[in-house]
Amino acid sequence: MRYLIAFLIILIPIDAFALSAKDIMEKSQAAFLYPGKDFSARVDMKLISKGGKERIRELKMLRKNLGKPGGNQKYFMYFFRPADVKGMTFMVYKYPGRDDDRWLFIPALNMVRRIAARDKASSFVGSDFTYEDVSGRDIGDDTHELLKEDVLDGKDCYVIKSTPKKGDVNYSYKTSWIDKESFLPLKEEYFDMRGELYRVFTADEIQTIKGFPTITKRTMKNLQSGHRTEVTLT
Amino acid sequence: MKRAVMKLVEFSVNRPRLVILLTLILTVFFALQFPRIKIDTDPENMLRKDEPVRIFHDKVKKDFGIKELIVLGIVRDDGIFHRDTLERIKTLTAGILKIKGVIADDVVSLSVTNNVVAKDGTLYVRPPLVEVPGTEKGIERLKKEVLDNPLFKDRLVSSDGKGAAIYIPIESKDIAHEVGKKIKALYEKEKGPEKYYLAGLPIAEDTFGYEMFLQMGLFAPMAGLLLMVVLFVIFRRISLTIPPMILAMLAVIWTMGAMIGLGYTVHIMSSMIPVFLMPIAICDSVHILSDFHEKLPRLRDRKMAILQVYEELIKPMFFTSATTAVGFSTLALADIPPVKVFGLFVASGVMAAWFLSMTFIPAALMVFKERKPISIKDEGSRLLGRLGRFSLARSKTVVVIGTVLLVVAVYRVTLLSVNDNPVKWFKKDDPIRVADRVLNKVIGGTYISYLVIEGEKDGDIKRPDVMDYIAGLQRYLKGVPIVGKTTSVADVVKRINYVLHDQDRQYEVLPQNKVSIGQYIFLFLMSSSPDELDNFVDYEFRKANIWVQLKSGDNRDITAVVKDVENYMKKSPPPEGIKVQWSGLPYLNIVWQHLMVVGMLKATLGSWWIIFMLLIVQFRSFWWGVMAMLPLGLSVLFSYGLIGFGGKDYDMPIAVCSTLALGLGVDFAIHFTQRFREKFKETGDLQATMEWTMGGEPALAIFRNAVVVGLGFLPMVFATLGPYVTVGLFFGSLSFFAGVTTLIFLPALIGTFRRLLLKQA
Repeated sequence: MRYLIAFLIILIPIDAFALSAKDIMEKSQAAFLYPGKDFSARVDMKLISKGGKERIRELKMLRKNLGKPGGNQKYFMYFFRPADVKGMTFMVYKYPGRDDDRWLFIPALNMVRRIAARDKASSFVGSDFTYEDVSGRDIGDDTHELLKEDVLDGKDCYVIKSTPKKGDVNYSYKTSWIDKESFLPLKEEYFDMRGELYRVFTADEIQTIKGFPTITKRTMKNLQSGHRTEVTLT
Repeated sequence: MKRAVMKLVEFSVNRPRLVILLTLILTVFFALQFPRIKIDTDPENMLRKDEPVRIFHDKVKKDFGIKELIVLGIVRDDGIFHRDTLERIKTLTAGILKIKGVIADDVVSLSVTNNVVAKDGTLYVRPPLVEVPGTEKGIERLKKEVLDNPLFKDRLVSSDGKGAAIYIPIESKDIAHEVGKKIKALYEKEKGPEKYYLAGLPIAEDTFGYEMFLQMGLFAPMAGLLLMVVLFVIFRRISLTIPPMILAMLAVIWTMGAMIGLGYTVHIMSSMIPVFLMPIAICDSVHILSDFHEKLPRLRDRKMAILQVYEELIKPMFFTSATTAVGFSTLALADIPPVKVFGLFVASGVMAAWFLSMTFIPAALMVFKERKPISIKDEGSRLLGRLGRFSLARSKTVVVIGTVLLVVAVYRVTLLSVNDNPVKWFKKDDPIRVADRVLNKVIGGTYISYLVIEGEKDGDIKRPDVMDYIAGLQRYLKGVPIVGKTTSVADVVKRINYVLHDQDRQYEVLPQNKVSIGQYIFLFLMSSSPDELDNFVDYEFRKANIWVQLKSGDNRDITAVVKDVENYMKKSPPPEGIKVQWSGLPYLNIVWQHLMVVGMLKATLGSWWIIFMLLIVQFRSFWWGVMAMLPLGLSVLFSYGLIGFGGKDYDMPIAVCSTLALGLGVDFAIHFTQRFREKFKETGDLQATMEWTMGGEPALAIFRNAVVVGLGFLPMVFATLGPYVTVGLFFGSLSFFAGVTTLIFLPALIGTFRRLLLKQA
């Protein structure tokens, strides 16, 4: 019997001791969206049309983590530009596993309105990012698979394919390049229901801020509409 | 000149096999160009690339991210607000999003397009049909919600709730037919009480292009076959039927081969070249064969008969071909690229046919011999001879009757109205026409035009006075009968104001300060995808776009709407620095069709003058020139005026036909006058000359020519596409009238004005 157990242990592949695809994604989410206890930054958001025209949003963004990585978060956004919307404020309470709470303050009417969140896959303040892109998607909602290891911009990466278990999003799967060192996503490719590549995320600039490697410039490009959004932390 | 051509004929008669071999080699060369064919079915290319409206249209499309739209209508007699129908709308939308070439993000449908509603102080931004409600009450709520929103009512759902629409933007116009087929496959799987309709200009235009080539492939050979049968009935010999048929084919292969080889795209116009060229190409041959058919039994020597035939016919044949070619090449003066290409290549095709008539036909006549000798039968000639004597004897009566008919025809022609609509190129019972009819009754209209409001500075659109003006224009347009629905950024602002005030009707208005307007738009932008408003405002808020859905695509109706808006703007001018301009496919169509119809008319009239001048020079007589032109003018007027075209609109196909008239109408008269005059010079006697012309081979050849052309194109009448039917009908009536006027009218006119004419003969 003892020999049998020993034999079975030998049979377990060595890889089981390495990180699983799910572990990688959990670590990545923690590094990307939950570093530290809170976060504050001035954000420049550029919405750029196919023809190169730009709409600029300038805002202050605050974030507070209320627990472990993957747990509840609060977001607060105060808009400075465009000029006619100065003072508009947007607040999101994010709960994993159920709908967010969102509120909007409209200065022209001096009024706060609750905005019902339909799904986390909808556009984040009119950009090419979705709410999920900004605040993360529950790791358990997808099945993750380590496709290969790759080198991107001189950095060793895990390449992971995440396929949603339910059809609650508007893509069929996404492939992420996760930096082995910082666990930040360097690139993500989203494939639509037809299996065609349609959205690409890139981390364009990474700086270490207060000890945390942080993506200070990121782009989400919609290949079908040609529209893209650039977000820079200043 | 005549000598040189005669040398060519002699060479062909002496070395027939060599000439046929050379012809075949040349043909293979031209045929080898065919695989390089590039097809262009976009009517927009009727306009030059640098035409201002086209540049503006492209700019509007770019500024507002507008793509070509297909509309799918779902109609259920007892209303679409039933569980199963809503379920189907959801499934269909999901299926459509997956079709390649569909711009999935921009599809507008109940199940994917966001609606903003307010309930208990909360704003809900989501498509009305995320889930199909499980209860009757839920469905009733959904219906109320959708019909309450002006952005949905009459656009996505008809106001009576019987029809729903899905707007499907596609990557380019030339995949419309392909995408349409896939959508059709989707809804054909659904087995419910609903009826489905596919409409939209891109689908009509692209399907037309597709069908056009199908029908070309079907009717060009069919017409050829019938031509062959008619030729056989006339000449009763295969040996006399085959050469002209081969000639027609060669002329088409050479012309199309040259066109493709030179890199021109095959457009709607040029696809008609084979149909146009075939009857013109064999005209010379019909005369040659008629004469040969008559001479061979008398001379009993093939070579001698051929040479005599050419000796007699070389002049009129060259002139008929040259006038036709000149006539068509004047189309190059028109400012419409496809018309230029069409004119020049038909012209070169005509000259190629002439060249083949001088080389290939004599060679073929030497090689293909009939088994049984030809005998003379002249029943036709006897009848025509009697007709000639009658016309000459009663010349004044005939002229008076002709003049009366002419006046009637001219009156009918004045009833023609210039109008066109690509959807109407399909027959009445074609699915595209049916869909067009039904959907334009049910929803706001399938012809989507754009009224562009342009300010001077960025942000001008957010000005309250500009917003008010946009809303005012929309209110005015709502009262115009063929306008079904208008949508603009002002509607969005009103909607946001309304939902922010808990759906209180008194707030369904435009706020009167720029900051509120700016914040409302921002709110909408924040809660939708990045390009949701793009169709209505540009990035800098300098331009706005009112979607004007029209229920009719007739040029006449669109022109009327354009005029109405002009008048409105005169009465209430736009605010400082604001410009208003039309764009969109329906508007583009009226521009190019106007150019086309008017340009074509001008070009046609121009070429008539040139041909007239040529004839005067050729005959060295003004009045004989008039004589030769008359049957052409009369037969065109008769064709337009008398054959049902009186009630029909003067559209693109008819405009094309009038150029064809040049090629055919004048030929008969040239043959008649040329040969009449030559004989008269010989005899100096009117009666005898008329007897020879009418009772002999010339009139018979003209008669045969008219019959060949008229009958040969009869099958086109059964085509499923309007323009082909028109071309078929026109060919038939034109050659009938040209034959009749030449054979009855000309003798009578010569009789009536003999003093004027014979002096100059």
